[in-house]
Amino acid sequence: MNMFLHELKAYRKSTLIWTVSLVAMVVLFLSMFPSFSKDAEEFKTLLEGFPAELRKAIGLSVDSIATLLGFFSYSFLYLKLAGAIQAMNLGTSILSKESREKTADFLLTKPVTRTQIVTSKLMAALVSLIFTNLVFIAATFVMASLVAGDEFNKEALFLIALSLFMIQLMFLALGILVSVIFPRIKSVISVSLGTVFGFFMLGMISSTTDDKALRYLTPFNYFDSAHITENLSYENSFLLTVVLFIIAAILASYYFYTKKDVHSV
Amino acid sequence: MNIFKREMKANRKSLIIWSIGVIFMVASGMGKYSSLEGAGGQSMNALMADMPKSLQAIMGTGSLDLSTPIGYYGVLFLYLAVMAAIHAAMLGSNIISKEERDKTIEFLLVKPISRTRMMTSKLVAALVNIVIFNLVTFASSVGLVQKFADGEEVIGDISMLMGGMFILQLIFLVIGTAIAAFFKNAKKATSLATGILLFLFIISIAIDMNEKLDGLKYFTPFKYFDAKLMLKEGGFEPLYLGLSAIVFVGLTIVTYTFYRKRDMNI
Repeated sequence: MNMFLHELKAYRKSTLIWTVSLVAMVVLFLSMFPSFSKDAEEFKTLLEGFPAELRKAIGLSVDSIATLLGFFSYSFLYLKLAGAIQAMNLGTSILSKESREKTADFLLTKPVTRTQIVTSKLMAALVSLIFTNLVFIAATFVMASLVAGDEFNKEALFLIALSLFMIQLMFLALGILVSVIFPRIKSVISVSLGTVFGFFMLGMISSTTDDKALRYLTPFNYFDSAHITENLSYENSFLLTVVLFIIAAILASYYFYTKKDVHSV
Repeated sequence: MNIFKREMKANRKSLIIWSIGVIFMVASGMGKYSSLEGAGGQSMNALMADMPKSLQAIMGTGSLDLSTPIGYYGVLFLYLAVMAAIHAAMLGSNIISKEERDKTIEFLLVKPISRTRMMTSKLVAALVNIVIFNLVTFASSVGLVQKFADGEEVIGDISMLMGGMFILQLIFLVIGTAIAAFFKNAKKATSLATGILLFLFIISIAIDMNEKLDGLKYFTPFKYFDAKLMLKEGGFEPLYLGLSAIVFVGLTIVTYTFYRKRDMNI
């Protein structure tokens, strides 16, 4: 319990900063929606005159992006990016900081098992992410109801916003796994930024090629907002992959950390 | 000279990884062009031209001519510039702050060189790194764009864009070093530098999406070297060049003065 509280306190400031920046991004993007939807309406009438192949070639149908959900899905791309960086940072740093800041021997000589250490740290990271997401979803709904001209599908909006949490959990698990596998991580931010941007670019490529198999490679494409809007559910195969990946990564992290050779000073 | 060599060696691996990343980025981006080319360039252009500004921003195209390779490359340029900027900002803050983070600053500061000289060697090493990064981007871009260009002259345009990217890199390099020199907590310097960078990038997207925010464009360097503007005007805007020079010189001075007085945290 002490470790859990200590970690919560240690990450309080960074969690708050991340939460505030995510909320600021939602507010910024959604506040642009009213003027955007007016533009898009005009463009839609114009688009009717063009052949269907062409409309497909631009990559997204204007029809869907002119709605609040479509617009939110677009801005969600950047929110996912920011959220993933937060989670990956948290995951990579929470275990590795002990040896980087030379506090590992202090912690490891306490009468707690390594399993307990990982569990408390994991719980603290989870609570930070849950806090961020609660505030994020609340802010999204407040902003959405402020800017939406007419009714919008609340359930779909909730599911899309919630998918941020799933992506964050995946990156958190990945970050922890990376931090226990590599013997020493000097700079957390370069590891996490590199990984997240790598996956982000993979996601960009996979969404243009429409390759089903490639989609499994990057968490950014697991939750397709078009599918969510239509069916009000996630795709089962991807949801399953998320759960399996998280369980596997966490179990592996426990296994590796209990055997890890931790250098003292 | 020793510090310079040492820094070059320390950053070699990351530079290689970044170079592979940027080559991959150019290749995959231009690969998308070849699939787009089949979709009928001309009518695509007509459509893009009629698109409202905010929609264009979402597509990332603006007034670029997507049917030509160089126009398409202009869209890609934004992402290359962001990559280069991240590299530069991380390099800049890291090269200064890592000494404190890794507790090697004591070792370095007791050597018979002044802090100014040490900073200069580090800055020169960082400069060489970003020049190499820029050249790699330039070479891979020329190679791949030329492949699609059917004998059109692209080297001039690409050199100009790369010139813009280089200034952008310089600005973010000194943003990184200035933060590392000024900010008390050395461990957080890199995070702060990348945070500022992402913030500036989001601002530049927001400016694209909403005309009311146009006045903010002087605050984000990403707007200084906009591919649309550079390709259309065929050169840099003197105002932005001036602004860049002021920011660069100002932050370099900040880096030196604050680092010389810095209270190292060991």
